[in-house]
Amino acid sequence: MAEATLSYKRVLPPHIHSTASLAKRNWGQLIALAPLFVTACLTGHAEILRVLLICLVSAVAFEFLAGKLFHKKESLRNGEAVLAAALFSLLMPSRCPSEVVILGVFSAVFAAKELFGGTGNYLLHPLLLARVFLQLCFPKVMSEPMLLAGDGNIWVLAAIGLGGIIFLKQKQGYWKTPILFMATCFICEALLGGQAMPLTFFSAVLFTAFFLLADPVTLPLTRRGTMLFVLCAALLSSRLSSEGFSIQGVGYAILLMNLLTPWLEVWLKPTPYKTKNQFKATYLS
Amino acid sequence: MPSPKNNPKGRILVQTVPTLIPFTEVESGVFQVAMILSNKNHRVTMTAQGAIPEKKKRPGRKAIGIRLERKKDASLLNWNLKRPYPPEKIHIPIPVAAEPCVRVGDIVQTGQKIAEPKGPGGVSLHASMPGVVERIENFPDAVGRKSLMIEIRKHGEPKPIPAAEARKGWTEIPAEELLRIFQYSGLVTTDPRMEPVHVKLGRHAGARTIIINGCEPEPYITGEQVLTLSHPVEILKGAELLKKALGAVPTPINFRGSEMGAVPATVDPQKIKIGAEKIIFALENSNLEMMELIKSKIYFLKWEHAEVRSVPALYPQGLESTLLQAWFPGEEEKAVVFPASTAFAAYEAVALGKSFYEKVVTVGGECVVEPRSLWLPIGISFHDAIQACKGVMREPQKILMGGPMAGTVQATSEVPVMVGTTAILALPKEVVKDAIAEPCIRCNLCVDHCPVSLSPAMITLAADQKEFATAEEWGVSECIECGNCAYVCPSKRPMLELIRLARSRGEAAVGHG
Ligand code: SF4
Ligand code: SF4
Repeated sequence: MAEATLSYKRVLPPHIHSTASLAKRNWGQLIALAPLFVTACLTGHAEILRVLLICLVSAVAFEFLAGKLFHKKESLRNGEAVLAAALFSLLMPSRCPSEVVILGVFSAVFAAKELFGGTGNYLLHPLLLARVFLQLCFPKVMSEPMLLAGDGNIWVLAAIGLGGIIFLKQKQGYWKTPILFMATCFICEALLGGQAMPLTFFSAVLFTAFFLLADPVTLPLTRRGTMLFVLCAALLSSRLSSEGFSIQGVGYAILLMNLLTPWLEVWLKPTPYKTKNQFKATYLS
Repeated sequence: MPSPKNNPKGRILVQTVPTLIPFTEVESGVFQVAMILSNKNHRVTMTAQGAIPEKKKRPGRKAIGIRLERKKDASLLNWNLKRPYPPEKIHIPIPVAAEPCVRVGDIVQTGQKIAEPKGPGGVSLHASMPGVVERIENFPDAVGRKSLMIEIRKHGEPKPIPAAEARKGWTEIPAEELLRIFQYSGLVTTDPRMEPVHVKLGRHAGARTIIINGCEPEPYITGEQVLTLSHPVEILKGAELLKKALGAVPTPINFRGSEMGAVPATVDPQKIKIGAEKIIFALENSNLEMMELIKSKIYFLKWEHAEVRSVPALYPQGLESTLLQAWFPGEEEKAVVFPASTAFAAYEAVALGKSFYEKVVTVGGECVVEPRSLWLPIGISFHDAIQACKGVMREPQKILMGGPMAGTVQATSEVPVMVGTTAILALPKEVVKDAIAEPCIRCNLCVDHCPVSLSPAMITLAADQKEFATAEEWGVSECIECGNCAYVCPSKRPMLELIRLARSRGEAAVGHG
């Protein structure tokens, strides 16, 4: 059967490639996250390191397990597991019990990501999905203060800002995406008002814009689609929870938009050059 | 912005621009030329006595492309064009529409006809080296097939080629006669498509503009650039000849079952007779000397109908299809593109009566001792061509015909140079290292860099799932196979492999259904 033997031989052009790689992207994001962890330790939130450690160990373990089960090892090689662990530790309350953290990592890395097909194939943001899942299971534990919400301070905000600048410098994504997200959130907030803790609000918005929206897998595959996605996500997350913008609200908003992604993709697909010109020639002249 | 006319001092206009090249003296100081690169629309502004008026801003698409490391300097160090010493043997590929007219054992001279055109769509073929016809057989060629070639072995000592004499009254030759000269000089476009020039002219009858393409968006390749710098006037005259030849009413050519070259129903034959009205010389905006040179030549030739336009030095801006897209969006049939070297060959064929048997090829890549552009006889093997540049320093990882973005890998260096060979590159493994493909992370980079606005990620994801109908729906047939998407992909996915697969399967599906 000819269908079964689809093998690609690397003899076709191009023979040169850009230096971008998944590993570079992931480690780049980790570098952008580093200031945040350092600041957390220096400003007396060192217990985040405990969560981070548990996340790291369990994420690597689950990825290893998944790699053995599904016969692939990309996620360990390109630093994806480490990045997921670092981001997830920031989404958890700082004093969260270990078994809850491990359950969260399991649902993020194993259930929400690898069971959906691993890198690049999942439909819903795995970290946010796990976070929402924990929220529903352990509402009490999960409403403890976290680094980003509750006991945020000016230094944490500055660290996230610095991370954002590092992230933009790396030119990994499209710079308009985080800017649009932040602008929309700020405008919503200014119009609707009622933010009790402005620092927390700022750090949550910045963190979402730079780190949660940096995972392109769950975003639409067109620029226009991405912009619309971000706009809707920002509007939704500002209005979803009763106390205004919060990480929980962001979770629901992004997951909801994730469900719309395939539709956005098809609706806003790029118009091929020829089709565009044929259209112009037929209707506009 | 003030135009040069109302600028009393006749001085240079200065915009707020990122790069400003200092004034240069060209042609014994008659000209003061400023090259002003504006961000959006790269243009050359030049003022002198009787300044060339500022051109209107052209509506155009934003140029899409990638900035590659150009690596051209190495081969530009030796920029005088030389001819190699004739090799032991050459293998001249016979075009499909030609019939060999020599027999094994015949002694041929340089430029002698060795194959006759078959039908009106064929071209003749000429020996590129004096010698004995050794064999007429199938040999492997540079595109991975076997094709019929004439093997010529060196015979005796090579004689110097006598200097060509100008054909009398060559500027007065009518258009139909020009087409016949092109056909019997064996003139073929020097791009990888290798279409006979008279066929291409016929196919584009009714076009109003000739674009002479001096761009080489691929890294390493400098052939057109070197040729343009050494023979600017010849190329311009060749362009004039091509422009005139466009005025011939074409005869229909039956080519592989379809009519080619027939006058399209929408074109009035009377209008064709006018020929083209305009010549555009397309150059990359990184090539400032070249632009100055061509501009001054056009100015002193007093050609109102010729102009220089620049394209951003991005890959694939400067390929035939992207030039047409950028300047004639939606009405590509109004212009026809010829490489500068084809215009040069047209000049030589008509003015000097020289048949087409050699072309400028860049032999380059990090592995070659003395990378350069040089005249190579058609049919010389890649090995001999590299030897003419003092061989290789170390074993190359890949030998390519063409540039690293769109070239083809060679299994052996014993394949012959064809008319469409623009470069022979010997690349080390540091440059062409292989990558492991990872899953698509939908990062959108390929979508941003596709010059024809496709969604390469969607197409290849569909092809991966063997959903060839979906790939077709997303426009895989419009892909120009430039390779941008595979270049930028951080996951190093085999995009072109998938695109070709989708194309072949999609066509098969359409054909059967
Ligand atoms: S899809 Fe085709 S035209 Fe578009 S970037 Fe890829 S190779 Fe080039
Ligand atoms: S560049 Fe590669 S990883 Fe990014 S969307 Fe395209 S195919 Fe996917």
